[in-house]
Amino acid sequence: MTAAANTHFAPPAPPALPDDDRVVGDATSVGAPAALAAAAAAALLAACGGGGGDSASGGPDSDPQNTVPPTEPEAARFLGQAGFAASASDLASVKSIGFSRWLDQQFDAARTQSHYDWLVAKGKGAEANRYSLDGTDATLWRKLIGSPDQLRQRVVLALSEIFVVSMNGLPIAWPQFATAGYVDMLEERCFGTFRELIEGVTLSPAMGVYLAMRGNRKEDAKTGRQPDENYAREVMQLFTIGLSQLNADGTPKTAAGKTVDTYTLQQITDLARVFTGWDFDIDSADVNGLDFSYMKRPMRQNASRFSTGEKKVLDTVIPATADGAAAMKVALDTLSAHPNVGPFIGRQLIQRLVASNPSPAYVQRVAAVFDNNGKGVRGDMRAVIKAILLDTEARQRSTAPGGGKLREPLQRMIQWARTVGLNSPGDLWAIGDTSNPSSRLGQSPLRSGSVFNFFRPGYVPPNSQLGTNNVTAPEFQLCNESTVAGYLNYMQGLIGNGVGDMKPDYTADLALAADAPALVRRHAQLMAGGDLSEATITTIATAVATIKSDTDANKLNRVKASWLMVMAAPEYQVQK
Amino acid sequence: MTHISKLPALRRREFLKRASAVSIAGTAAPWALQLAAIGEAAAAAAPGDYKAIVCLFMYGGNDYGNTVIPYDTANYQAYANIRQALAIPRDQLAATALTPSLALPDGRQMALAPTMNRLKPVFDAGRLGVMLNIGPLMQPTTLAQYKAANVPLPPKLFSHNDQSSLWQSSRPEGATSGWGGRLADQFLSSNGNATFSCINVSGNAVFMSGGQAVQYQMSAGGAVAINGANKSLFGSAACAEALRGMITGERQHWMEQELNRVTARSVNAQGTITTALSTATLQTPFETNGNGLASQLQTVARLIGARASLGVQRQVYFVSIGGFDLHDNLMSQQPVLLGNVASAMASFDAALVELGVAQNVTTFTASDFGRTLSSNGDGSDHGWGSHHLVMGGAVKGGRFYGTAPTVAVSGPDDVGQGRLLPTTSVDQLAATLALWMGVPATDLPGILPGIVNFTQKDLGLFTG
Repeated sequence: MTAAANTHFAPPAPPALPDDDRVVGDATSVGAPAALAAAAAAALLAACGGGGGDSASGGPDSDPQNTVPPTEPEAARFLGQAGFAASASDLASVKSIGFSRWLDQQFDAARTQSHYDWLVAKGKGAEANRYSLDGTDATLWRKLIGSPDQLRQRVVLALSEIFVVSMNGLPIAWPQFATAGYVDMLEERCFGTFRELIEGVTLSPAMGVYLAMRGNRKEDAKTGRQPDENYAREVMQLFTIGLSQLNADGTPKTAAGKTVDTYTLQQITDLARVFTGWDFDIDSADVNGLDFSYMKRPMRQNASRFSTGEKKVLDTVIPATADGAAAMKVALDTLSAHPNVGPFIGRQLIQRLVASNPSPAYVQRVAAVFDNNGKGVRGDMRAVIKAILLDTEARQRSTAPGGGKLREPLQRMIQWARTVGLNSPGDLWAIGDTSNPSSRLGQSPLRSGSVFNFFRPGYVPPNSQLGTNNVTAPEFQLCNESTVAGYLNYMQGLIGNGVGDMKPDYTADLALAADAPALVRRHAQLMAGGDLSEATITTIATAVATIKSDTDANKLNRVKASWLMVMAAPEYQVQK
Repeated sequence: MTHISKLPALRRREFLKRASAVSIAGTAAPWALQLAAIGEAAAAAAPGDYKAIVCLFMYGGNDYGNTVIPYDTANYQAYANIRQALAIPRDQLAATALTPSLALPDGRQMALAPTMNRLKPVFDAGRLGVMLNIGPLMQPTTLAQYKAANVPLPPKLFSHNDQSSLWQSSRPEGATSGWGGRLADQFLSSNGNATFSCINVSGNAVFMSGGQAVQYQMSAGGAVAINGANKSLFGSAACAEALRGMITGERQHWMEQELNRVTARSVNAQGTITTALSTATLQTPFETNGNGLASQLQTVARLIGARASLGVQRQVYFVSIGGFDLHDNLMSQQPVLLGNVASAMASFDAALVELGVAQNVTTFTASDFGRTLSSNGDGSDHGWGSHHLVMGGAVKGGRFYGTAPTVAVSGPDDVGQGRLLPTTSVDQLAATLALWMGVPATDLPGILPGIVNFTQKDLGLFTG
């Protein structure tokens, strides 16, 4: 897609912004990276509503976002992007301290019990569970729904959809601990640097198994055996640089009208030799015991299986003298330093949190922060996440016909669950696998069908106005005649009865149930952050009001009907 | 009603059956209206003119080397030397060694994977053909041309998502129409109900989207009704009605509109599909336990059995099975997957014979790409050309199509480690299927722009 094709989906420039904002639109013409970074840093401040001229992207005090307390719908809308739900405490907090400080607090929020430790505490490490996923879905739901650090949980879910591992593809002993160790690693590294993150991903036992890097051996001239190319290919195609050379705004570079490949088959074959010699950090004599702690440690290098001779990562030569760890370092340093990473990963993070079809200028602003956080650090994930969430294009409600994003089914369910305070008193979290497309969500955490995620970042729904206008809308890859029905039926069951020991708390709703418009407005505000029109609120309220409110049972039906209709409303399902 | 005598016997019989059904259902309707209904019923329900293609996609890139295996002594030995630990012992291939009606040149012999034994009788019965070394090509390409990169090559070779898209649409990821859908575009007007022109029983595939044709996606279990929009929502009919209106109405925002369009299609089609499946009878057993593909093909067979009530004359179906990206565990997992494919296809073949439509339905396999012939220790890596199957009563089966590749690393067909440079293009297969469906040769470029680069547009897969 060209920049030109994209620009008209950008929301109109906000009237009150300072002139600095113009710089961003013209940034492609600024040649020097330093100038670009400065422009972007200025734009970030501008995007925050002030533009005080401080070229460093600054601490919270320099952030003018905090000077104006957001309204309740604005705060709820922000929480729908920066987390999952507008819980009462988060709403109050955002309204009192502002967007940027709330993000700072969330960056520093304590982590709750790790997935690994929870599984151990629940006895899932018994011999009978050696090949079992028992407990894995439960602990993922436990944190996605129950953990207060919702920014971290939201970002981890997003990262799990970029650096995809699926528990369905782990045919090894202790797959539950491999999955747990992987998600714990994402939690630990999601607010560090990209370089730390990609190393964590690369050396994690789960990814090692999922993309066959674990156990990958050097070539053997006698038998003709070659190193496995799987990880070498996907670490480039999916996790760092992508298939095509990108401009800083995420649009593809072209030569003679064609996109330019980032690598050749030969370069994959070369890189595959770097990713040899790694295996679980446990001695083979011990693998039949009950020590599965290697699933939370990086894999370790076995020099006898490491490819000999000179190697290459893209055009960078790795000398034959480099051992496995040193070669790996050069490979990851080189890939992480590639100019594609900022726009490639930045655009996908925007898509996961804010909008399916961000303007090139938005991607460029985020990519510039990725390249330099203002203090010379590349790939500072905190700065990148802040840049994404505080950008004008995120903070302004989109009015473009292709703006926003279809909330993914998981996001809708988790948002509702958090909003109604779903909790598992028995610490069971027995929601299970929600992958079934015709009876559940057609999507379940860490259960993608392949490393290509539930949906592709470039997906454009065919035969639609989105297709005609070439608007990417990844989540629509999951949207079909079965899943639209499966989602509504599943939510009707959850809203009606909860699941297992997890029961929705409708106390606040029941207090409003006699007043149908007030009830519906509450749900609309919490879930849609102002995206539901007055007409839709009236339609729902009118229908809800036909249910009597004379008994507790009838009031409860009003509450449930309102929840389902709000969650069914297209204005809600598409987050603006 | 003299004009009706011009209908072929089969059509007239069907017409009379339909006519009586319509007249019973609509005794109170004005005669003119009834006539119109009868005309539509007859047009939509002529079974002699029914044709469907079924794309069976093996996601992940199936390893060709262990699917159709060299069996003559010399080539088996070359295969075993290259594959090492990935070689299937020759004695295990005896039962599935193929005896084609037209022998391969140079004494070449091939065998199906041992777990595909259920397809051997279908091959022997002449309803299954094997297409050798087929894959996406922009034009006929020699190895020298590939190495020099002096002719157009398929973009993003060896990449899963792009090559599965190329197989389905002739374009890499991001394509918005596939050749199955574009083929269906040609027939939308002859289908009484266009919604059921393209039915995907396994999710979403670009193959099935045309310029106008929209894929109808359902699960193997059938169409799903939206409970809350049906009669009442939490006891309230008014809420159910409001819900129904809200999720199916026209919207201004493009994403909301697309969401509601899908939902409206779901609501509108659900009753028809459910009724059709409830009336369809099928005796042929499918081994659906642990084999989702068998469930999908069973549902396709039942839908084909109910084609009259779906109002269709030309259909495109899509079914799929995943798990073929076997960089590891090739020897333990591929046999299971191929066994599932063979079992599902053999049952499907038997079901179509039972329904009397074996001549009317053609099934073909496809996959992201083939793989390397050389081993990475426990599996193989992404390749290009591969061997595929084509099945149906109209297929001249019991034989091979295309050219058997040289079994060699760095051989004349190898672009690296036994990745095959295809000698037959997917466009040629697509054109052959389109011609069989009744697309005029002059219309082929509209469906398959790349076909103009190939002299041979019909692979000769079909009888008559």
